[in-house]
Amino acid sequence: MKHKMEKALPFRFFIIHPKVAVLEWDTEPNPRLLKLLIGFQKAILKEFKEVSQITQGYCSLMLYHNCEIHYINDYPNSLCLLFDSLSHYSFTKQKIWQIPVCYEESMAPDLKSLANQLNISTASLVREHTSASYQVNFIGFLPGFLYLSGLPKVLECRRKARPASRVDRGSIGIGGKQTGIYPIESPGGWHLIGKTPYPLFEPKKKNPCFAKAGDSIQFLSISKSDYLELEKQRAQGTLKIKPL
Amino acid sequence: MIEVLLTGIHSSIQDLGRFGMQNTGIPIGGAMDQAAMQMANSLLNNHKHSAVLEMSFKGPKLLFHQSTAIALAGADMNAKLNEKPINNFTAIKIKENDLLQFGNAHQGKRTYLAVAGGFKNPEILNSRSQYLGITPEATISKTKLIPIDKVDLNLKKGARLTLTESNETDTIPVYKGPEFYLLPKKAQDQLTKQVFTISNKNSRMAYVLVEKLLHELPSIWTAPLLPGTIQCTPDGTLAILMRDAQTTGGYPRVLQVSDEGINRLAQKSTKDQFQFELTSV
Repeated sequence: MKHKMEKALPFRFFIIHPKVAVLEWDTEPNPRLLKLLIGFQKAILKEFKEVSQITQGYCSLMLYHNCEIHYINDYPNSLCLLFDSLSHYSFTKQKIWQIPVCYEESMAPDLKSLANQLNISTASLVREHTSASYQVNFIGFLPGFLYLSGLPKVLECRRKARPASRVDRGSIGIGGKQTGIYPIESPGGWHLIGKTPYPLFEPKKKNPCFAKAGDSIQFLSISKSDYLELEKQRAQGTLKIKPL
Repeated sequence: MIEVLLTGIHSSIQDLGRFGMQNTGIPIGGAMDQAAMQMANSLLNNHKHSAVLEMSFKGPKLLFHQSTAIALAGADMNAKLNEKPINNFTAIKIKENDLLQFGNAHQGKRTYLAVAGGFKNPEILNSRSQYLGITPEATISKTKLIPIDKVDLNLKKGARLTLTESNETDTIPVYKGPEFYLLPKKAQDQLTKQVFTISNKNSRMAYVLVEKLLHELPSIWTAPLLPGTIQCTPDGTLAILMRDAQTTGGYPRVLQVSDEGINRLAQKSTKDQFQFELTSV
C-alpha cells in the first residue's frame, strides 16, 4: 500500500445533481475541521470561478456550480490539491459576540423544569450557560439560526417530549448537546431558558445575519428591566450589535 | 394595482427565489413549477424571473385597477374574465375594472398568472418571493392592493403556446443522494420500483410520502440540503423537500429530484401517485 501512487481523497465526493456536489469528511465535528472547512470555502470561491455558492454542515460542504460539473477539468482532484495547500491561505479573523439574555422566569418557561431534570439549581444552570464560550459551526434550519457547539456537559439533556407549536423570536433553547437562539418565530422542541432582545435576523439588511461560521458567542445575563429597555431600542431600530 | 377580492387556497407572489445566501439559512424559495412560471412570463415577453402570482388548488378573485396584459400557465383553473371563460397559454389584454376569477385546479394543482412587466411588491434580499419571516406575509391577503408594472404592451398579435407534452407524467427523474450508497440493495430497489403516494402533509416546504422505506441508516451530522432532496427519517418516512426547503438537516439524503422532477411534483398533491426513475448526473 505504501507504494501506491494514487492518493486517496481526504473527503468523500458526491455529485448529487448535474450542478451540485457534496463533500463529506468521515469524522466527528471538531474545532480543527471547522477551521479547515471555513478556510477551504474561502479558497474554493477564490480559485474556482465555476462555484457560485457553498453551504456548510458539521462535517460537509455543498458546492453549487454555474455549469455542469463534468465540464470542470480534473475535478475533484484539483479540489483535493487545493485542500492540501490550505495553509497558504489566510483565515478570516473570527469575531466574538456577547448576547444579552434575560433568564428571569417570565422569559424562561422551561428554566425550572430543566433545572429539575438536570438536578441543579436554576442559578447554577444560568451560571453554567453564561460561563461557556460557544462556537458558530454554521447557519441553517431557519434564516439566521446558528448551530453552536460548546454546551457544558452538565447542561446536556433530552429534548422536550412535546415540541412547542410556537416559540418566540429571540428565545434561547437547550436540546440534546446543543444550545441555540430562535431568530424568528417558529415551532421548536428545545427547553426555553431565556430570551434576548438582540435582532438576530434582519431581512432588510444586506447582511441579514450578524454572525458567521467560526465566530464565538457568549451569553450575558441581564435583568428584566434591561431587557425591556433594549427591546424598546430594537423595536425603534436603534439597537445595533457590535462584536467585542 | 390589483385588488384581492378573494385569496383562493394558497396564492403567493413568486419569482425564481433568493440564490446565493443559503449559508445564512435563507431558503431558495421561488415558483414551485418554474417551467410553467417561465412560460407565463415568456408569453408577455417578460424577463424569465419576473414575479408572478402562484395559485394553488383553487384560485383567487381579482379586480384590476389599471390596464395591462396577462398570461396563464400551469393547471387549468377555469379562469373567467368578466364572467367569460379564458384560456391558458395565451396573452390577453386587460382593461381597468376587469374582474378575473378562478375555480378549482384541473390537470395539475398550480397555475401561474403573469402580468406585463411583472408584479412589483417590494424586493427583499434580491427577490419578491413571499416567505414568512423574510416577507411580512406568506400569501396574498384579502382586500389588499398588489402593485404591478405599468407597461403598455401592444397585443395586436397575442402570443400563444401549444403544449406538446402533458404535465401529468407520473415518473419523477432522480439522482442518487449522498446516503443512497449506504442502503442495502433491497432498499435501493424499493425506491425505484415502488409506486409512491403523496400524503396530505404537502406544502411549499416538503411533500411527505405515504409509503415507508425499510432501512437501518444511522442519522447523520446536520448537513446541507437543497430543493428536491429526499430525506428519510428513522421510521422510514420519506420527505421530498420542495422550493421553500430548509437549508440544512440531520436525516439521511437518499435521493435528489431533478429540476424537471420538482416542476412535475409541483403539479401533484394529496393521493397523487408516481414512480422515481433513477438517472445519472
